[in-house]
Amino acid sequence: MEQLISELKTKIVDILNLPDVKPEDIQEDAQLVGGELGIDSIDVLEMVIMIEKDYGVAINNKELGAKVFATLRTLANYIQEKASELTN
Amino acid sequence: MTGGAVYIAGMGIISSLGLGLDETLDALITGKRALTPASPFPILLPQHLPVGAVSAVSLENAAETPPRTHLLARLAADQALASCEEPPDAIVLGSTTGGILTTESLFERKIVDPQRYGMHALGSIAEDLARRCGCTGPVVTVSTACSSGAVAIKLALAMLRCGLARRVLAGGADSLCRLTYFGFNALQLIDPDGARPLDRDRRGMSVAEGAAMLLLSLAPSDAGGLQVIGAGLSCDAYHATTPHPEGAGAMAAMQAALDDAGVAVSDIDYINLHGTGTIDNDLSEARAVKTLFASGLPPASSIKGATGHPLAAAGAIEAVVAALSIEHGLIPANVGLGTIDPALNMAPVTSPLKRPVSTVLSNSFGFGGNNAALIVSKTARRPETSPSASDRPGLTIVGRACLTGAGLTDETRRAFFVGHACRGVLAGGALAQGLAPRLIRRLKRLPQMALSLAVHACDGVDTERMPVMVSFGTAWGALSETHGFLERLIETGQQYPSPTDFIGSVHNAPAGQIAMLLGAKGANVTTSGGDYSFEQALLAADLLTRKTADPIVVAAADEHHPVFSPLFDASVRLADQPADGGGGFLLQRRQAKGATCISLAHYGSGEPADGVQALIQALGGAAAMDRRFGAVMVGLPVARRKQAQRQLDSFLELSRFRGAVIDYRRLTGEFGGASAVATVLAAEMVSQGSVPGPLVAGTDQALNGKGVLVMGLGDFITATRVFVS
Repeated sequence: MEQLISELKTKIVDILNLPDVKPEDIQEDAQLVGGELGIDSIDVLEMVIMIEKDYGVAINNKELGAKVFATLRTLANYIQEKASELTN
Repeated sequence: MTGGAVYIAGMGIISSLGLGLDETLDALITGKRALTPASPFPILLPQHLPVGAVSAVSLENAAETPPRTHLLARLAADQALASCEEPPDAIVLGSTTGGILTTESLFERKIVDPQRYGMHALGSIAEDLARRCGCTGPVVTVSTACSSGAVAIKLALAMLRCGLARRVLAGGADSLCRLTYFGFNALQLIDPDGARPLDRDRRGMSVAEGAAMLLLSLAPSDAGGLQVIGAGLSCDAYHATTPHPEGAGAMAAMQAALDDAGVAVSDIDYINLHGTGTIDNDLSEARAVKTLFASGLPPASSIKGATGHPLAAAGAIEAVVAALSIEHGLIPANVGLGTIDPALNMAPVTSPLKRPVSTVLSNSFGFGGNNAALIVSKTARRPETSPSASDRPGLTIVGRACLTGAGLTDETRRAFFVGHACRGVLAGGALAQGLAPRLIRRLKRLPQMALSLAVHACDGVDTERMPVMVSFGTAWGALSETHGFLERLIETGQQYPSPTDFIGSVHNAPAGQIAMLLGAKGANVTTSGGDYSFEQALLAADLLTRKTADPIVVAAADEHHPVFSPLFDASVRLADQPADGGGGFLLQRRQAKGATCISLAHYGSGEPADGVQALIQALGGAAAMDRRFGAVMVGLPVARRKQAQRQLDSFLELSRFRGAVIDYRRLTGEFGGASAVATVLAAEMVSQGSVPGPLVAGTDQALNGKGVLVMGLGDFITATRVFVS
């Protein structure tokens, strides 16, 4: 799990081109979207594509997205849960 | 001829509902839902989303020219013009996709023959129509995403009312394509079960295609005397894709349309909603409508559950539906609705309703918060008076900026005024000078250029002169985003297209960015007409400021893209080196003695034999030429050099103009927005009162109060006057 979280931090900073944000600036339990990092709804869509592409996990509607993208930890949990369902 | 009534003299329509007025009417009467998985391009994924495809035009051969959008536009235009004997004076067309379906198919197959991309440009649709019907006046293309068709009708209305034309063909056209199908899906704005506008369980829209045209005329027609009595525009200046949650911009556009028409909310018998079926649009539109019509809501419905969302064609298709509604006493049903969403607090018409209708309000809202509302009526419009052309104040230049390979305004002027080339492609860092990194983190080249021009044109301007409106021109739009989107779509087998690139790829994205940054909530228009895109933006600005002193940003720019620019633009292919850039002004209509003003004096086809004569006449005749102008900056696009040189020779012979003639593209390089750079440099000359010696192979030439003329030649002939009032 910690490895997944760390991996996600790097990927998020990379794909979202957030100026002045380093991977370690993203707190696992802090609000991910609409908070200080400046991540917005368009960034969420980019993350949705990345997660589907890299982890095979689809987050294809807004209600689900709101829950999954609450924090980095909820996102990592969801990916781990769905990815393990897929491999089983 | 000001403020007169504008009649609908002809109509044409093609959509997923059918071809022509009769088929459309039948489909509306029966409440047909025309969403199917049919598609003009191959879908590799297992899930085929429902779309509103036109079955009257074969879905095969999507790689051919003319592209599908052009075919749809032709079919609608032929109907609208069927009963008329002479061509319209002008054409105003809305489109967001142009020939992109053909481009996608060729690009996917790695075809690099530029001839086959010849009708990629948005402007090529209206130009095709103009050639077919023999229109030699202004041919303007508007691209404001899903409100394009309605904005085109607004501009046509303004042209007619101010006497610039007697008859205008106006409408919108878009075909289905990969860009919009996969793009909207990447934004999670597509309902996998087909659009269900206003439904509790709605999940989004269904992309569609079609075209509709209105022949608008100052002369009353035999058929019913239907009129477009008002139109209003606004911009949310809120978000690139999400509407303002309370529908503030939507309400402003509807109110502006009511004010323009001189009618009250109680006069509206039916509201044709934008109603795309997305969660956010329907909610914000319902709030706007409920607030504006607090005294009583007339019957309302969205037809997008029937047609799907034909994007730029939507506003024009729904204007035709509004006309049909009045002619036949029919209120169309909100097709696709299962359970009304209680959160909307309004009940749309669930089955087609027969009842007399005399006035219809039709809404069209687009990405970038570009809102438009039209009012169609059979009730006569109130007579009104407007100031005549002679006492209307000019558009004064409040601020200006330009951008070339040499750098921003100062660097460009320094190079150009000593006769050095300023052509080239400015590095990203220099381009984004003065723009916050967070602001531009998702923006590629063209929107950065647009923001840079707007910010620098408004540099040091008082709060009360900050822009309320934006009019932006671009020949090719955001090529980096368009290329990025298509490349990734193809590389990933259609699976992982970029939502950010899709949002950025629409032609009106740069103007939307300007509006958001500067808080400009008035009309927001993007025009696209090749090398004349700046002149189109200036024409739109002139029309939109006829009755207001609201400041407006008028700019044009084009980016150089290593793959797409040479493929699309013949002048870029022939150029010695890549170049891009643009120019922008902050303008305000006001009386100001001694201020530098800008005025579009002429916009017409380059084809007719008397094209140059028409230009000279528009400029006050040959006798006035040397008295009014100290220099001519002339744009001779290299791909049209022979034709343009002939036109220039003819101009010099007929006008007997003796002043300096500056062939500016030799210094700025070849790109769509080059004339905007030239116009900014012309303003610099007028401000300093002289033409720099190195440009005329001699010493500085004093202007002695004369102006500078910026002339565009080639496919079109344009003339912009820069002068001291």
